[in-house]
Amino acid sequence: MTLNLGSPVAELSRVLTGTAPSSLPQADATASFESLFASCVSSAFGVAMRLTRNQADAEDLVQDAALLAHRAFDSFTPGTNFRAWFLKILINCYYSRRRREKCRPVTSDLDDTPDLYLYARSGEAGFPTQGPDPAAQLLEKLGTERIAEAINRLPEEYRVVSTLYFMDDLSYEEIAGVLRCPVGTVRSRLHRGRKMLQKALWQIAEEDGIVRQPAHQEDA
Amino acid sequence: MSQLDRTNCEEAFRRLNDYLDRRLTADELRIIEEHLKICAWCAREFNFEASVLYGVKRKLRQLEAPPELVSKILSQLPPTHQAES
Repeated sequence: MTLNLGSPVAELSRVLTGTAPSSLPQADATASFESLFASCVSSAFGVAMRLTRNQADAEDLVQDAALLAHRAFDSFTPGTNFRAWFLKILINCYYSRRRREKCRPVTSDLDDTPDLYLYARSGEAGFPTQGPDPAAQLLEKLGTERIAEAINRLPEEYRVVSTLYFMDDLSYEEIAGVLRCPVGTVRSRLHRGRKMLQKALWQIAEEDGIVRQPAHQEDA
Repeated sequence: MSQLDRTNCEEAFRRLNDYLDRRLTADELRIIEEHLKICAWCAREFNFEASVLYGVKRKLRQLEAPPELVSKILSQLPPTHQAES
């Protein structure tokens, strides 16, 4: 069989990585803290919302990070990626808060998610598995808030790295810099986190009645 | 990679995530794309995975910071930046 289905995949992949890390805007050497902060606040707020799960805490987190970043602005290297630098501070603030709150990671039943989970389940439930954007119908029915909730259900270490990945166009190397961990750790957590996310999305689709729940839950 | 066989599909699938994130070398990318041209199953799976990732990114990025947040935060910073000891 000769069937050219490579193009749609390549097209989606281009969209996914539309802003290549190397093409991210770098900070103007003379830019002020205020202008740099204003240029990345939406991205930072988005990450903060996904991490804290509510607007008031997200605003507080961005504010804490801004105060620290302003104080440490001398250590920022002009011409480098201010957003990645700011997100590193924001993530540190987030972890400090978590330690203060003594939050413990919740146990998860997402660990054993098989490959292509959503693909298999979508096919079984009659959702599209092919076409130019086959997952769009399911994701549209779920909506932004429930997709965010799926991210929230990931265990902490997967949730943070996935949030940075989905909310911003940071490279693996930049995410590793933000989290102060090896690139290989970012890669493995992202890949595993994606599988978990698919199962979490499907669980929510079942809870919301978008798809029918099986009489007795059976994965794989 | 010119022939479709089980090994090629497994090899392609093993590189799915790196392909989607453009983490492959030029040679690896060419091999995978050649495989996707001749393997409908893999192409469909890759396309679906790309669609999920793209869709989640698209949805999550609809969030905007409240318009007053920047001015509120900036108003609480010291008026001018000075090196602190």
